[in-house]
Amino acid sequence: MKRSSLVVALATASVLALSTAPGLARDAVVADPDAKVDYNGTLSVLTKFGLQQLSPYFVNVAKAYEALHPGVKIELIQESDDSIKGKTKTLVASNSLPDVYFSWTGSWGENFVRGHRAVDLSKVIGPDTPWGKTISPAAVKAFEYNGKLYGIPLYLDAKFMGYSKPLFDKAGIAVPKTFEELLASCDALKKSGTTAIALGNKEAWPALHYIGQLVAYNVPTATLERDFDPAKATFDDPGYVAALDQFKQLADRCTDGAAVNGTSYASALQSLSNGDSAMYYQEIIEFDQSAAADTKLKRDEFGFFRLPPPAGAKGDVKAIEGAPEGYMISAASRNIPLAIDFMKFVTSPANAKVLSAPPYGQPSATIGGASPSDMNPAVVEGLKDIAEADYLMPWLDTANTPRVAAAWLSSIQALLGGTMTADQVMASVKKASAADAKRK
Amino acid sequence: MARTENLTGIGSPFAGSRPTKAHAVAVHRWFSARWVLIAVVLVAWFVYCPIVDNFIVSTTYEDIYSGETEFVGLDNYARLLDDPVVWTALGNNVLYAVISILFQVFAAFVLAAIVEGLESDRLRRFWRAVYFIPSAISITVTGLLFYFVYQPRTGLLDAFLSAVGLGNLSLPWLGSEQTAIYAVIAMSQWQGFGYSALLFGLAIQKIPRELYDAAIMDGAGPLRRLFAITFPMTREMTGLMVIVTITGAFQVFNEIMVMTAGGPNNASQVLGTWLYQQGFIQNDFGYGAAIAAVIFVVTLAAGLAQLWYTRRRRVEL
Repeated sequence: MKRSSLVVALATASVLALSTAPGLARDAVVADPDAKVDYNGTLSVLTKFGLQQLSPYFVNVAKAYEALHPGVKIELIQESDDSIKGKTKTLVASNSLPDVYFSWTGSWGENFVRGHRAVDLSKVIGPDTPWGKTISPAAVKAFEYNGKLYGIPLYLDAKFMGYSKPLFDKAGIAVPKTFEELLASCDALKKSGTTAIALGNKEAWPALHYIGQLVAYNVPTATLERDFDPAKATFDDPGYVAALDQFKQLADRCTDGAAVNGTSYASALQSLSNGDSAMYYQEIIEFDQSAAADTKLKRDEFGFFRLPPPAGAKGDVKAIEGAPEGYMISAASRNIPLAIDFMKFVTSPANAKVLSAPPYGQPSATIGGASPSDMNPAVVEGLKDIAEADYLMPWLDTANTPRVAAAWLSSIQALLGGTMTADQVMASVKKASAADAKRK
Repeated sequence: MARTENLTGIGSPFAGSRPTKAHAVAVHRWFSARWVLIAVVLVAWFVYCPIVDNFIVSTTYEDIYSGETEFVGLDNYARLLDDPVVWTALGNNVLYAVISILFQVFAAFVLAAIVEGLESDRLRRFWRAVYFIPSAISITVTGLLFYFVYQPRTGLLDAFLSAVGLGNLSLPWLGSEQTAIYAVIAMSQWQGFGYSALLFGLAIQKIPRELYDAAIMDGAGPLRRLFAITFPMTREMTGLMVIVTITGAFQVFNEIMVMTAGGPNNASQVLGTWLYQQGFIQNDFGYGAAIAAVIFVVTLAAGLAQLWYTRRRRVEL
């Protein structure tokens, strides 16, 4: 055999071996509520608390757990909101998922379940179990896939428009009740020499959060949920284009326009904290970062309201964008009972109260884990709003498949930059969705 | 004899045979060959196997979550041709290469020639340090630094434009599809220019002084000396710098990720960042590997072409 023929034959054999291999199909792993916990060994934990302000929380919880169980070592891998996305996938690809890892709900969490990477926790966190009774049932249910529970919700999250009361007073405006009033408020703020809304969209998802809320207002919920399913998605409801047109109006009248694509989310947050901008669309878990003792905007000067719905909206005007966020246990973990025990400790009422209070301000999903007396009053009020919402609209970038999410993200940057229209954005999303359906 | 005995250790096929001179040479060769073999295996395993593996992965669709892999033949390569972002990314890489050659090869060469032509040794050292300092900073740090330089309104660039009465030229440098890639490339040139100039400086220092003295005696001016002596005598360095610059332009990643993440609307995407986003954001490793294969082929071709050119035009003293 000639050398070149040998190389081709070897390569072909390798490809065939790959294509015919059974893959790494795993069996579903179900947590046993009666399993005895072995308090020995190392437990790796991947968190989304990599930010300076949040990172001490898990560090302190880990130390407290290690003090209770001297045979256990907690190995923390702390990432930020952005970096955890790439990190998690790298860990998955290299079969190195930590024992406990962060997960969003929706399509993001579904990936771990589909790949049998997450432990079925139904028997330990279900509504009738001792642990399940201590956590908000709706939050636990957000991690339900195929009728089984896979996640441990840590905190509740939702999106609100934070604002500076002094800058609103200076411009002589009140909290807007409708979307149209919000646009008029922006005009008044601009006249007073203030940037109305700080928006940093370098990462592309911050603008998508506006779209998510506006889509929930403009598209009937049943249609939305159908479109989250790649096999059924059509994205042809006219509410999508309406939502995008509304967002474009908001971007043109309230923000720095195309410049927002070159500004980071963190810079925009700082702009509100520094008193340079009047509004900033943020998650409730960021309230304590927006206004604190060391920021120019003080806590009593901080206000918030839900993004007001536009007139004639065809969707659910009581919907709010947000979802609980939490953790999963790796199906490959060598000590699943210990991982569960650690997460029971993390979600205990005592630790939950610490998590909910400043400086962390992450409203715990644990029942009784949020003590209003210790919390930022704005966070307490925000939680009431979340409780009153009809529907929790998931983040579009984690609810949709990666390809559809990527289409949303890049197209909205183009919409902001003026190089795409709302119709073109939806055409791009539909094209990505169709490509996904073909792949499935 | 002692040497032969030492060499006929465990594993030698010659152990126990009668020692002769020819025998000793054969043993020595066998002993050396074993180490060469180990080196070959290591290089093949760690350098060439991943390349072959990448080509194999590029013919598959892999679901990283389930670990299931499907052989899709050349589908990923066909998809490359239809992907408009790939063409944007490829165009940006080419733009990166062209601008980098202009600045990091030709402009750096001229700067080095000027600095090395200075009479004062102290001045030469001073200017070498001045232009080399940016190269000592990590590209990620520089990316972050320039991210703030380009900030709309508050950034150093817009503040400067306003200060000199050119505020109307302010642009969302990193936020506009038209300017984002140029803003990133400009930062890269600022960072890499000094390193190239330093290497050219070293090449110029190796040119015998007598050549310049003779040229001066013949009445050659500075420009004539630059093109008749300095340029031909540094041809190998120029060739090397062109290779390094082109391959570097096709491997660019960090600065894009830090400054624009490929946005807005993929306008500043390069093949490296698109590869990353396909593999690690969109979970499509097969397609990512196909993009990697394109990068490999382009950089290999550039390298081979430049090596051929510099060998053909080598100047011997």
